[in-house]
Amino acid sequence: MTDKSNSQTSYYLNDAFYDRLMRLVDDWRLDDGVSPALSIDGTDKQACESLIVAEARLADDLRLEAWLDCYSDESVYWIPSSYPAADPRQEITLEFHDKRRLQDRVARIRTGVAYSMVPVIRTRHILGHVEYWQGDTNEIRARASFIIDALFNDKHRILSGWMGYSLVKEKNDWKIAVKQINLIDADCLQENNTFFL
Amino acid sequence: MTKKFDDIVQAGRVHRTVYTDEDIFSREQQTVFSETWVYLAHASEIPEPNSYVARKMGLRSVIVTRDKTREVHVLLNRCTHRGATVCREKKGDKTPFFTCPYHGWTFRNTGECAAVPHEDAYGDGFNKQSFNLKKVPYVAEYRGFIFATLNADKGKKGIKHHLKSAAERIDEWIEHNGGDHKAIRISGAQQYSVHANWKCLYDNAGDGYHPEFSHQSLLQMTQQRYGAGMDLDYFSGGIDATPMYSQDLGNGHTFLDQRPCMYEASAFDRQRPQPGREAIVEQLSQEVGEQQAKEYFEMSTGAGMNLNIFPNLLFIGNQLQVITPLAVGLSDMTWYSTTIDNVPATVNTLRMRTQEDFTAFGEPDDTANFEACFKGMQEREIDWIDISRHLHTQVDRTDENGIVTSVISSDIHMRAYYAEWKKLMESSDESTLG
Repeated sequence: MTDKSNSQTSYYLNDAFYDRLMRLVDDWRLDDGVSPALSIDGTDKQACESLIVAEARLADDLRLEAWLDCYSDESVYWIPSSYPAADPRQEITLEFHDKRRLQDRVARIRTGVAYSMVPVIRTRHILGHVEYWQGDTNEIRARASFIIDALFNDKHRILSGWMGYSLVKEKNDWKIAVKQINLIDADCLQENNTFFL
Repeated sequence: MTKKFDDIVQAGRVHRTVYTDEDIFSREQQTVFSETWVYLAHASEIPEPNSYVARKMGLRSVIVTRDKTREVHVLLNRCTHRGATVCREKKGDKTPFFTCPYHGWTFRNTGECAAVPHEDAYGDGFNKQSFNLKKVPYVAEYRGFIFATLNADKGKKGIKHHLKSAAERIDEWIEHNGGDHKAIRISGAQQYSVHANWKCLYDNAGDGYHPEFSHQSLLQMTQQRYGAGMDLDYFSGGIDATPMYSQDLGNGHTFLDQRPCMYEASAFDRQRPQPGREAIVEQLSQEVGEQQAKEYFEMSTGAGMNLNIFPNLLFIGNQLQVITPLAVGLSDMTWYSTTIDNVPATVNTLRMRTQEDFTAFGEPDDTANFEACFKGMQEREIDWIDISRHLHTQVDRTDENGIVTSVISSDIHMRAYYAEWKKLMESSDESTLG
C-alpha cells in the first residue's frame, strides 16, 4: 500500500486542494472591508502569531531546516505571477511548491554551489498589519503586509506586497498549510528571488 | 564601419566592446532589432478582433493589435502629436480605438488617425492621415508566432524564407505539444530583469558546455534526493560522445537537441517530481487510461529542443523565452508558458508545475553567471571573449541544405549567430517606419 500522507509524495495536491486555494484567494481579499470577528481561542491565536513571525525570522536567519518545519506535510508555498492571483492550474506562477519541492529548494541552496546564492542573499522581513480570522475547523486564516530588504552582491533591494496564510493544527502544533506571497510587482520584471520570501 | 566589425568579431573570438559599448548597442537597435524579423507576440495573446498587447521591438514601445478583419498590426506606441504614450495598459480587448490621454487624439487599431479634437484650428490644409501612428511595415505569422521587420527585402521574402529549416524545427516543437498550433496558448509569463547585455543571455541559449558546471546545484540536489538517471544528468562526463548535437540552421538560427538522451526512454520519468505529480498521474490514468495518460505525461515534459530564432526568441522546454534589450547592461528575460486547449484540465496543471521547475532550479544560477560575465567584460585589460570551442577539431558536418551539425559542447551557436549579427551590423540598410 502506497503511503499517501508523507511529504515525499504529493497525492494531496489534487483538484479539491486547488479548489480550496481559490476559495482562500477569495477569502483573503476581505471583501467586507474588515476581517471577520475572531472566534478563536486566545492561546491558538498567540501560537499563530508566533508561527508566522518565526517562519519569517528563520528564513532570514537561513535556518532553513527549522523553517521547513513551520510548514505542514501537506502545504503549498505560492508566489503568483499576476496580481490579483489567477488560478495556478491555468496560469504559470513565479513559484508554486508543495512540501517536497520546498525541500528541493532548501537542498539546492545547501549544496553550496547554487550560484544565485553565492554570496548568500541576506534578507530581513518586516510583517505588519497582521489580521487573523477563523477559517474551517482547526484552521486560522491570516493576512499581512510585508516589506523584504534583500542584500545581494552589496546591493539592497526592496520587495513588498502582502501574504495570505492558512494555518492548521497538525497534532498539537500550528503549521502553515498555505502561504501565498502577493508581490505588488508580480507581473513586472523580477530579480534574483532565490531566497525564501 | 565594415573594418570596425572585422576587428571585433573574429574567427574564434569577439571583442568585449561588442557587449559593453554604447554606440554598438545603439546601432543594434537600427540593425539587429530593425533589419531582420523580430519576434513580438503569440497569436493566442491577441485571440479576438480588437485585442492587443503592448510589447517592445528592441527599445521601441509598440502595440501589437488585431483589427476587426483579424489582420495584425505593429504600431509605434507614441502619439504623433506630442509624443505621449498612447496605450498605457499591457494588454486589452474590445479596443478598436486608442485615445491619447494628453489631447484626446484618437487612432484606429490599424494606426489610422481617426479624430483630432477641435480639428478646425489646424486650418484647411490639415491632413489627418499624415498623423497616423507609425507602423512597422512588415508583419508576419508563422504557425502562431508573430514577427515584424522594417526591412523591405526580408519583409517581401516573408517569414518562412527567413526561418529556413528552423521552421521545420518549430513544426517539431508544435508536434511535441499536440500538433495543433491553434490549440497552443500562452498562459502567463515569468519576467526577470538581468543586469547584463542581451547577448550574454543569447550566448547561453545554445551552450551545451555549461550545464555540468553552472547547474551543479540542480545536479547535486537531484542526485542526493532522487538518485541517478534524472533530469539533466546526461550532461555530466563525456557529453560530446552522446548522440546529442548542436546545429547552425542559417540566418543566425541555431538548434541544440537534447532529445536523443532526454527521450531515450521516458522524459517524464526523468523529471524532478512536480507538485501534485502523484495526484495527477492517478487521476489522469483513471480518466483516459494508462496509455493515453502516458502520452500526456510526455507532452507535458519539456520538448528537449533548444531552438533559437535569432535575435530574440528561444524555445526552451515547452516555454518561449524572449530576450529584449533595455539598455547596454540591462535585459528583459521573459519566459512565456504554454497550455494546450482540448486536453484534460489536469494535463495543463501538470504543464504549469513542470514549467515552473527550471526557472526555480536552473535559470537563477545561469543568470548569476550572465551578470558575472558582464561585470568581467568591463575590465579594460582583457579584450577578448572566447567562442572557439570545437572550431579546430573538424567535427562539423554540413549537409546538402547547408545545415552544419556539430557536437553538443561546440560553440557553433555563438559563431553562427555572430556571423549574422556582423552581417546586420555592417549593412548599410537603415529603414524607417511606415
